[in-house]
Amino acid sequence: MRRQIFAVMAGAALTLGSALAAQAQDALARVMEAGVLKVGTETAFAPFDYIDAGTHTGLNVEVFEEIAKEMGVDLEWITLDWTGVLPGLEAGRFDVVAGPATITKERMARYRFSSPVAEATVALLACAKCEIETPEDIAGKPVGSGTGTAQLAQLQAFAETLETPPTDIKEYVSFNESYADLAAGRIEAVANSLPNIAFVASQRPEVFKVVKPAFGTPTYFGYPGRIEPEYASLMDKIDEILLAMKEDGRMAELQQKWFGTTFDMPDYVTEPNI
Amino acid sequence: MTWQLFELLLQASLMTIFVSAASISLGLAFAIGLSAMRMSGLAPLVWFARIFISFFRGVPLLVQLLLIFNLLPAIGLSLSSLATALIGLSLCTAAYQAENLRGGFEGVPRGLIESAEMAGLSPVQSFVWIRTPIALRLTFPALVNEAILILKASSLVSVVGMIELTKMAQNLAASTYMPLPIFASAGLIYLAINWIVAIAGRRAEAALPGLPAK
Amino acid sequence: MSFDFAVILAKGPAILAGLGVTVLIWIAGTLLGAVLGFLVATARRYGGRLADLVLSVPVEVLRGTPFLVQIFLLYFGGPYIGLRLDPVAAGLLGLTLYGAAYYAEIFRAGFQSVPPGHSEAAQCVGLTRFQTILHVQLPEMALLVLPPSMNMAVILLKETALLSLITVPEMTMTVQAIGSQQYAFVEALVVLALVYWALVEFANLLGRLAERRLSAYSA
Repeated sequence: MRRQIFAVMAGAALTLGSALAAQAQDALARVMEAGVLKVGTETAFAPFDYIDAGTHTGLNVEVFEEIAKEMGVDLEWITLDWTGVLPGLEAGRFDVVAGPATITKERMARYRFSSPVAEATVALLACAKCEIETPEDIAGKPVGSGTGTAQLAQLQAFAETLETPPTDIKEYVSFNESYADLAAGRIEAVANSLPNIAFVASQRPEVFKVVKPAFGTPTYFGYPGRIEPEYASLMDKIDEILLAMKEDGRMAELQQKWFGTTFDMPDYVTEPNI
Repeated sequence: MTWQLFELLLQASLMTIFVSAASISLGLAFAIGLSAMRMSGLAPLVWFARIFISFFRGVPLLVQLLLIFNLLPAIGLSLSSLATALIGLSLCTAAYQAENLRGGFEGVPRGLIESAEMAGLSPVQSFVWIRTPIALRLTFPALVNEAILILKASSLVSVVGMIELTKMAQNLAASTYMPLPIFASAGLIYLAINWIVAIAGRRAEAALPGLPAK
Repeated sequence: MSFDFAVILAKGPAILAGLGVTVLIWIAGTLLGAVLGFLVATARRYGGRLADLVLSVPVEVLRGTPFLVQIFLLYFGGPYIGLRLDPVAAGLLGLTLYGAAYYAEIFRAGFQSVPPGHSEAAQCVGLTRFQTILHVQLPEMALLVLPPSMNMAVILLKETALLSLITVPEMTMTVQAIGSQQYAFVEALVVLALVYWALVEFANLLGRLAERRLSAYSA
């Protein structure tokens, strides 16, 4: 009985050891060998990533389908709450995040970002009937944003510049819940990036409106990946494909389809504004 | 609420049923193992079983799942969302099932164990062939109960990336802005599944061979 | 992978605030749930067959569906029928209703296990029905319902973690937020698990003490 237990434990230790050894392998080589690119994302970030009548869709899905096609691999999507996505990346649950995430100084110190795919400047989505015409009008009113997001940080920073702060800045597990609360009247505005809220308002113009101008500092969205050297080859490959897509107009076409507009974007963001 | 939306919920409920059934079965196997450890008389095994049961009964399943999801890769085990969900749910139910089985093992008549010994069965043989089947029979109603609890608990596995009934309902509620009918429908589907399990459990209980006289 | 617990523990006051919310909602929800459950069980026992049948519906629905679906329905569906609760109120109401369904069953089993002879005897000596319940059935029930009641209280404590998903600022939400701000997710989850574990074991200990106390009185 005891000998058997030791045998099982030794077996488990061996499996563990070989799994650890596999981790240090070059990420691109590993993905090509497995024939699968694992992409982590949240599905509550329309129009980048959402579920339309049961189907996973959005800009991310189409961009990563292009990337997978060019690489000659299959895609595997792992969908989590946003609070779980970056931890999942760090834990090695997937190779890259579709998110996307706002490129910030703090995040750049921790992740390697792809070439930007959209503008991320933060603005307000308000209920159509609410008396919010300029960003400053949120003074004394309850507002919200997504927990653990750069958009929330910008909202908090903006709130501090107001003489009367908002009565409450609520944090949501996903932006979908903040939109639901906005529609339900629990809050009067949601801070999120322009491409997102423009899409949401266009879907439900009788309920939502976009408050202009954007109050946030100009920022961009990119796909975060791991910063460790063994991931450099994979992120380089993704950038190569993204830049080719920008060059030959495929990216502009996708932006037009999902945002109704195109963005002027640098090839790389090296000095984010926030 | 359209039929198309309801159909999507029904499809997603297949994942709920699969994850629950697999976790219950795996959990039962783990629970028998834990019971064996607890009755082995070997201090390290007894303590391992005790701490295991206390931990998995003492921490919310939501936290357990998040912990397993993020901790396993840190020790080099990169498993799929499905595997993570199955491990999380089955370890949790194993702790509860082991606790249920404890009562079952205590209910095995002493005389039976002694006669097994006299008939020349080793302690391991007696555990496998005499005590475990009787303990399982005695605790069958508790197993059915646990199955219903796990069916409900499986609503949490979306936090490790599984798309089952509750997650599908969340997704549909977000894209249609009709949370009321969608979550109510999801609730009805859970209710129907649990009814079927409860009725099937009662039928099986009645059909199983009777309990030994005490 | 290196672990850094210091960054989590440095946020001690915030974690304690989250713990406070967890404990308050838990205790309030459990007490309210037990009271409501007791009322339901009493009504089912003494209110006639119709009351029994009507009340069995919400009890079975609440026991047959996941708590998560219930709070989603209450929080996100509620505003569509004019029930606009803030997260804490929705969480407390959800926990109370969920607990009440289980407590109703615990008390129902308790009523059933009191031998009918005892109440008949009480009524023979001239006690009213209310007096019979108060002086005969309740004391006999107490010992029987205490263990499952404590068990249920512990289950409700763990269910409060789900309230983080409707943005109640309880411990799970607080510690997870700290984990993502500090980029110490795993550490945050480990701390969270340990605090819950300690809390549950503490509640179990209280339950065992109460049982010992009560059985000493009735012996």
